Amino acid sequence: MRIFSTSFKVRYLAIFFIIAGSIMMGTLLAKTQPVLAEGQPNPAVKPSNEDSTCLGCHSKSGFVKNLPNGEVLLLTIDEEHFSQTVHSIEGLSCTDCHLDITGFPHDNFTAQSLREVSMQLYTLCKKCHEKQYDQTLDSIHQKELAAGNSNAAICTDCHNPHIQKRITDATTGQILPEARLQIPLTCARCHSAIYEVYKSSVHGAALTDEKNQDVPTCISCHGVHNIQDPRTNTFRTNSPLLCSGCHTNPDIMNKYNLPTNVLNSYVADFHGTTITLFEETSAGTLTNKPVCYDCHGVHDIKRTDDPVYGIAMKNNLLKKCQVCHPDANANFPSAWMSHYIPSATEYPLVYYINIFYKFLIPTVLGGMAFYVIIDFLHRMISRLKGAQH
Amino acid sequence: MSGETQNYQRFPVARRIEHIMMLLSFGLLGLTGLPQKFPTLGISIFIASLFGSVENLRLVHHISATVMMLGTGWHILVAGYKVFVNKEPMSMLPGIKDVVDGIQAIFYNLGLKKKFPQMGRFNFEEKLEYWAFVWGAIVMGLTGFMMWNPLTTLKILPGEAIPAAKAAHGGEAILAVAAIIIWHMYGVHLRKFNKSMFTGKMSETDMLHEHPLELADLKAGLAGPRVTDPKDLRKRKAIFFPIAGILSLAMLGSVYGFVSGEKTAVDILPPASTIQAYLPQTPTPIASQMPVVLGPNDQVTWTNYIGPLFQQKCTSCHGAMAFGGLSLVTYADALRGGDHGPVIIPGDSTDSTLVIVHSGGNHYVQLSADELKNIIQWIDKGVPEQ
Repeated sequence: MRIFSTSFKVRYLAIFFIIAGSIMMGTLLAKTQPVLAEGQPNPAVKPSNEDSTCLGCHSKSGFVKNLPNGEVLLLTIDEEHFSQTVHSIEGLSCTDCHLDITGFPHDNFTAQSLREVSMQLYTLCKKCHEKQYDQTLDSIHQKELAAGNSNAAICTDCHNPHIQKRITDATTGQILPEARLQIPLTCARCHSAIYEVYKSSVHGAALTDEKNQDVPTCISCHGVHNIQDPRTNTFRTNSPLLCSGCHTNPDIMNKYNLPTNVLNSYVADFHGTTITLFEETSAGTLTNKPVCYDCHGVHDIKRTDDPVYGIAMKNNLLKKCQVCHPDANANFPSAWMSHYIPSATEYPLVYYINIFYKFLIPTVLGGMAFYVIIDFLHRMISRLKGAQH
Repeated sequence: MSGETQNYQRFPVARRIEHIMMLLSFGLLGLTGLPQKFPTLGISIFIASLFGSVENLRLVHHISATVMMLGTGWHILVAGYKVFVNKEPMSMLPGIKDVVDGIQAIFYNLGLKKKFPQMGRFNFEEKLEYWAFVWGAIVMGLTGFMMWNPLTTLKILPGEAIPAAKAAHGGEAILAVAAIIIWHMYGVHLRKFNKSMFTGKMSETDMLHEHPLELADLKAGLAGPRVTDPKDLRKRKAIFFPIAGILSLAMLGSVYGFVSGEKTAVDILPPASTIQAYLPQTPTPIASQMPVVLGPNDQVTWTNYIGPLFQQKCTSCHGAMAFGGLSLVTYADALRGGDHGPVIIPGDSTDSTLVIVHSGGNHYVQLSADELKNIIQWIDKGVPEQ
């Protein structure tokens, strides 16, 4: 009897604490509006954990469906993998995304191919990831899709929701270092030839071999969800600002002993001047003046002192010059100051001419101004005195 | 003031046209050149956008440069005519007197001297400007040529010559434009608007103030052409014009060479990367699965029909998953049945659960009428395996 009554009291207390706790938590939650970091999804769905029903069947290995086009759709969800995904951790359940599944047997399955399965489902991502989804609507992938190219990437091609781990830090919104390493591998699924080139570039090698977090991945230049067509005139004319985003940043460049004057020295040169004025006046018009990647490479960017490809080697640079200047001779590459700011040791002639004008201009103009001022003052004084000149 | 009514001709029409050519080309050269020297400034971007694009800006710069070169050539011819044919004094040549005049003018303006120096047809201010222009034209012409024709230049000079030319061209440009603004603007516009370069005339009062020695010469009949004998004049012209003709052709040829001497760069875009953008990493071609069909004379057996049919249509659920305990993967599995007993009763299709379920029409996967007919036939024949 005593035992019964004690356990009864315990149960009572437990219920009391649960109710009181819930009220307190509810009040707290109501007061503290959740602050969502940039890039964080806004979950419009309430997490529920009714997944066990689904997993009753879908956790069994080898659960497949043969699609009418002969492809095989794997229906098995690897519970262990799924439990590590951001969606599982955030408490999403199967039917939060699979809205079309309302019971068993499921409604008629209409997709003819694996691609159609994805196509039918990917727009659901918008429910929580509206910002990212809207950005994709402005992307080259979306334009291709609209033009009928069903190979163009959709949400789930890059982010398989059943294995996608957290990409960004929940509080800062910064891409996590591990996720950063995955970016080129993700793009490589469709752009494998470019990936192979990138991997051997100075940037790609540093990322894959050293897990370097300073080097650009695909998205650093191409953007993430609103990826633009890189073949447009606008992309071309604006590209120097893309490269200089990092290459003028001393925080990054100093680590590798790289100069930060590359944009200034480029803009000061004929090619860079043209591109700069183009950017501002007619970015959409084609100009064939070289941008960074015409000389340094697009995905195959090498160190300038690379023993084989480095453009610090004049004969390598000459080959680059000759792409646009077919008649260029061996003297020609030196006409470009290789991002040097002229000094007594580098391009001394230019340096001394600059110094010459630095003195000549103020001397001549100063002399002229002196004469003009005394002439003017004399006239003023004469006029005030009423004197005739 | 009778001096106001008496006008002296200062510049003939040809000189005035030459001035307008220089005025326009110089103005446009400065306007289109400086934005290229300071491309990041807002005003540069504004000016470039007025021309539509930097390419148009450069085109105007190049056309203006050509006009200025032609103007310079014309100036040389006219000067040659005046000096050689007319034997006019070289009034623009600088001399010691100009230095003295300049110093005296400074002293006068500082109040250290009572009298302003008396000067001739061209005073020291005008000579300074003229020779500064000559110096500028030479520097700009040479460096402009090098930038316009780098391939030709670099056949002789080292590569560094091109950025050096650019540095000099830019420095000289600032000097020239600023000098015009300070010296020319003050000297002929602000101090007193001297319109003689447009009207060609100057009043006696102004002549007295600015060019008293020339006025004295004019009054004494010493100025102007010195060759008056028509025979001598004809002879001189006969010598001058052929030479001037050859010189003109040479100068025109030089300007043409300057302007279109070399094709520096291609007009097309540097060839783009030829790398294939879309190349999926793991192409997984899956042979499309043909519907299982029975030949016209074939017997329905597990091996030739039922097994493949079940594999294709049923094993998603009744395979490894074994929904309801039923697996249809192997012949033995199929005959064993599920949690509720066998689904296939050999020889009795009517009582076989499989047939009953599929005749009901609400199984998750539906068999076609032909497929069901073949299954019934197979069951009734005693479920032959082979």
